[in-house]
Amino acid sequence: MSTLSANPESATPPGDSVDLSTIERPPQVLNGRDPHWVTDAVCSIVESKTPLWWYIGISISGTFAAIGGACILYMIATGVGVWGSNSPCFWAWDITNFIFWVSMAHAGSLISALLFLTRQKWSLSISRAAEAMTVFAIICAGVYPAIHIGRVWFVWFLFPVPNNYGMWPNFSSPLLWDVFAVTSYLTVSSLFWFAGMIPDLSVLRDRATTKVRKFCYGIASLGWLGTARQWRHFEMMYVLLAGLTAVLVVTVTTIVSSDCATSVVPGWHATIFPFYFMVGAVYSGSAAVLTLIIPLRLAYPQLRDLITPAQLDKVCKLLLMMGSCVAYVYVMELFNAWYSANAFERGTFWERFHGGYCWYAITCLSINLTIPQLFWFKRVRSCLPLVFVLAILCNVGMWFERFMIVTTSLLRDFLPSSWGNFHATITDILTATGTLGIFFTLFLLFIRFVPIMSMNEVKAALPGAQSADHLTTEESH
Amino acid sequence: MSFQLPTCGSKDEPLYAIGARFNTPDDLVRAVKRLRGSGYSSFECFTPYPLHGLPEVMHLNKSILSLLVLGGGISAVIIALTMELIPSCLIYPLIVDGKPLNLSALPQYIPITVALTLMISAITAVAGMILLGGMPRLNNPMFAWDLFSREAGRAFFLAVEARDRKFDAKDVTELLHDLGGYEITAIHEEEPDLPHSNNRR
Repeated sequence: MSTLSANPESATPPGDSVDLSTIERPPQVLNGRDPHWVTDAVCSIVESKTPLWWYIGISISGTFAAIGGACILYMIATGVGVWGSNSPCFWAWDITNFIFWVSMAHAGSLISALLFLTRQKWSLSISRAAEAMTVFAIICAGVYPAIHIGRVWFVWFLFPVPNNYGMWPNFSSPLLWDVFAVTSYLTVSSLFWFAGMIPDLSVLRDRATTKVRKFCYGIASLGWLGTARQWRHFEMMYVLLAGLTAVLVVTVTTIVSSDCATSVVPGWHATIFPFYFMVGAVYSGSAAVLTLIIPLRLAYPQLRDLITPAQLDKVCKLLLMMGSCVAYVYVMELFNAWYSANAFERGTFWERFHGGYCWYAITCLSINLTIPQLFWFKRVRSCLPLVFVLAILCNVGMWFERFMIVTTSLLRDFLPSSWGNFHATITDILTATGTLGIFFTLFLLFIRFVPIMSMNEVKAALPGAQSADHLTTEESH
Repeated sequence: MSFQLPTCGSKDEPLYAIGARFNTPDDLVRAVKRLRGSGYSSFECFTPYPLHGLPEVMHLNKSILSLLVLGGGISAVIIALTMELIPSCLIYPLIVDGKPLNLSALPQYIPITVALTLMISAITAVAGMILLGGMPRLNNPMFAWDLFSREAGRAFFLAVEARDRKFDAKDVTELLHDLGGYEITAIHEEEPDLPHSNNRR
């Protein structure tokens, strides 16, 4: 009964006025699956035997994570000198990776919060995985700000803790805003993720066959029963959290961009930065969602009816839109550098494309200007292996963009006497791969131990799931 | 019909509720309407997903969670501004680049205020949902009903609680049967683990 290939827009000739309510939406779940099937399909991922690829995957990612952890310990024990960062480039891979990860997180929040608020039901089946990606990406991002300060044991100076020196942090510094923004973001997105999961965890609790599982899921689901009273508060909470998260995403990305934009460094000091970071964030995040979801569908064939090609197609379109916004920002940035008639601003951008670091800028622009534009073609969007490869390339492009913004701007500022160079050390590289390891380790644990899809939301949106009866007048009352 | 119900929980304990399973959301909503019409008020519906319209036919009020979150948000603004302005303007003025420290510099205190407001509002929302929903409560007489666990995430249940003023086991059983409920079961309270925990809801 798949109506997947039917294109709803093509049913009406162009130019005619269209009654939107009559357009049939693509089905949420293919093959007419019922709620029982959805429950079994999603729970079976957690309940079945652990597949071999999972062990292989987590060994690899765990190894990288452990090496990354060792590098961090080495850095703390020795000092930030083990990184390549040095005058004038005090921010290099640390902040590049911080911005890269925190940006990637944004798309998960946006997909789950903003698309929920706008009642875009197509995002329901991928929102849980996208939220998980958000939480794990923020954890990876959070590694850097804490350790890059050098003497990590003074990290509590960042928080307004009454102390016997009588010292307080500088609340007007964007770096302190950053601390609060990232802390809030991690807290809120973790809560959003966990609270939305409570009903699904209770299903796992009730289906559990071993005592350990029953105990763990029992604690995690807090005694959820699914009563009408609980659902009423739950739905209200979900709307409120979605609203708060949507605002928070914009706030966080603006604050992170203020780290750069409120300074006077040429290449950073630009009013377009909040928008620049926002669109870049959603762009890289959509790419990351595709990178994670496509292999997940491959590993668990039962998910193919739940994560439909039509839904992935929409994520590709989101990627295309945000990629085009990114392209616009690149052009505007170059235009502004020229139009500002500021010798330093012009010099920075000239240096980006002509100096020793030009290949960063060239890689970034050649990927981010071309790859997303390929998604104009339906043939590209529907070829999932190709989408997977292109999505990875988009993320690579975004990493180069973050590096280009953060590092090359610092290397060439006002005084030629203070110009410098940056070379990544092996510790830099292994710490960065370590965060990748942490991310994939957490994601693999997520797949294995919690429901990767919001079963209750998917079931509630199935045809016939809701009662048509409550609208009629009450009998005998 | 003869009044001999399958039971669950410990039989020596008082009766908690009589539960029935319903096939479709429509059946459940119809049953709730009839129950309310017959004057019952202490009953609970268990659904695998939020069923729209059910709170209305159960005559439940709108969730007060939004009000709590508004309160949480407003107090967060006050907490955040106090936390920033008292150190910055009074006890530890930190002058950077000659920037002013008084209220005319309010914009620089806004980002942290926004971030904290969102965080505290979100914590209020989740804590409020958990507490208003009667959680965390890890024991519940409903857990003793094996059908309830077996059909988790699938079935619709209705339980008429014994504390209802109109409650009569026989009448309720017949009514539930008439309404199309099946696998009607008498759910007893669980045996208390501790001598003083035998408090009926």
